[in-house]
Amino acid sequence: MTFAHPERLLIALLASLAFALVYRAIERRASARALAYSNLAFALEAMRPSRLPAVVVFAALLAGVAALAAAFAGPRLVARVPVKDGTVILCIDTSGSMSATDLKPSRAAAAKAAARAFLDEVPAGTRVGIVTFASGASVVQPPTDDLDAVRDALDRVPPPNGATAIGDALALAAQQMPAHGKRVIVLMTDGVNNRGVDPVSAARDAATAGTTVHTVGIGTNGSGELIPGTNELADLDETTLRAIAANANGTYASAQDAASLRGAFRDLARATVWEKRRFDGSTLFAAGGGVVVVLAFLVGFAAGKFP
Amino acid sequence: MNPRLRAALVTRRRRVGTTGAGSPRPRRGDGYEFAELRSYVAGDDPRRIDWAATARAGDLQTRVMFEDHALTLAAVLDASRSMFVGRDRPVYDVASGALSTWYALASAEDHCTRVLSDRVIEDRRRRGRSAALLCAEVRDEPGAPLDDALRIASLTVPRDASLLIVSDFYELGALEPSLRRLAARCDCTALVVRDPWRDDLPLGGFVRLRDAETGATQRLFVGRRERQRFGVAVAARESAVCEAFEAIGVRAAVLAGDSERALLEAFGLA
Repeated sequence: MTFAHPERLLIALLASLAFALVYRAIERRASARALAYSNLAFALEAMRPSRLPAVVVFAALLAGVAALAAAFAGPRLVARVPVKDGTVILCIDTSGSMSATDLKPSRAAAAKAAARAFLDEVPAGTRVGIVTFASGASVVQPPTDDLDAVRDALDRVPPPNGATAIGDALALAAQQMPAHGKRVIVLMTDGVNNRGVDPVSAARDAATAGTTVHTVGIGTNGSGELIPGTNELADLDETTLRAIAANANGTYASAQDAASLRGAFRDLARATVWEKRRFDGSTLFAAGGGVVVVLAFLVGFAAGKFP
Repeated sequence: MNPRLRAALVTRRRRVGTTGAGSPRPRRGDGYEFAELRSYVAGDDPRRIDWAATARAGDLQTRVMFEDHALTLAAVLDASRSMFVGRDRPVYDVASGALSTWYALASAEDHCTRVLSDRVIEDRRRRGRSAALLCAEVRDEPGAPLDDALRIASLTVPRDASLLIVSDFYELGALEPSLRRLAARCDCTALVVRDPWRDDLPLGGFVRLRDAETGATQRLFVGRRERQRFGVAVAARESAVCEAFEAIGVRAAVLAGDSERALLEAFGLA
């Protein structure tokens, strides 16, 4: 938290001190209306009253006054808020190698689960779309703020089959982006680009248009996993994925198992669809302080019953 | 006048020089009522020699008189500031009522005094008004410390007098030396004024209490638990004070409002 007028904090401190002094003065004057009792020491020893309520009320009053005074200094708060006018497109690899089972139950199933984990972190109002790619790229779900529709679209993701056209997926996803707002592509792949346009160029073009590309690599290199139906190793081209992210102001993450894949997507969601924003907390401080002061007065100064 | 109380006062008063509660026998000494004739013994007042009886008997005969059953009723009423608190009226007024009941036990021959913090009021015979009433009507200065009155009482109240002390006795520890001296000198009865909020402390929430004696104030939170503790503590204090009085030879009871009942309790008649 910062303050637009930090010099006014001194005034806030003085106001709080002044309040404490006035409070004490009021207490002393109110003593004149106290109920006379024969022996105060006996009464206190008999009742053994708790000091906690009085301390809580005084502390609440002081905190409320301090908040009111601090509001005068223009507090600037940082809050994690949903990205305004954000659009995210998930590019999901559906090439044949995604049927490998090194991630349980399969890379494809783990990818869908990770996508659902991503959607769970997306706040209302953010648009999400799905592009799948194998030998070519296709839009499964255009960007929409109806997250239930996006979840339903995950069920329409085709089964793994075909080559890996990473660059085509990036280009298609970039085309789906709106002209304004925060634009993010999350690319999830387990393989090497072997079809279509160069993915690094596509990422560079997307970045030029204002889109950020994050990449997630699935699988393990040197696992010995073969692309089903072939004798090719299901290796991961981490170099290219890192280059894509670097050229598009994004990040690269790898996941060797389903849990870490879900975790990676969850982290990406928090980093992409939420942002820290500063806002003027004066109203909040003033309102909060005022409510606390009023409540504390009502509770603390409510007249006790006297005979 | 309550005859039972009067009789108890006469018969149960503790008398200096006697053991136990004292038997209801008259003490031989100067008085107005003839008791008997007996032979003269050295030390008899020569003015009591009955010459006619001496002539008949042939040796000196002394008239012995019954001490009439005249009592000396004295009272001390605590007028400290702690006695001027109360629910509907100050407890001082309740205590004053006890004095009226006490002096109402006086018969025409009795002597009544009222000990204040700075002087002693003797009974004055006025037409149409009883001495007891006069003594009861006198008010001490508010704020006068009880210990002053007790010290004066220990110096002025006649031996074997019947002394009533009415107070809240919050400072019983400090008063104990004076009370012991009085208990050794005369027959003492103490009435402990009941706390007006003993059974129902109607405080709730944040309240402010002021000590009636010192003026010190304290703001405190009173809830159901605090009220319960207060009631228990007040009842325990009353019992403890009465027990402490019994230990120093003073009969005691709690004055809750009905002073006659309180005196009957003190004398074990309730």
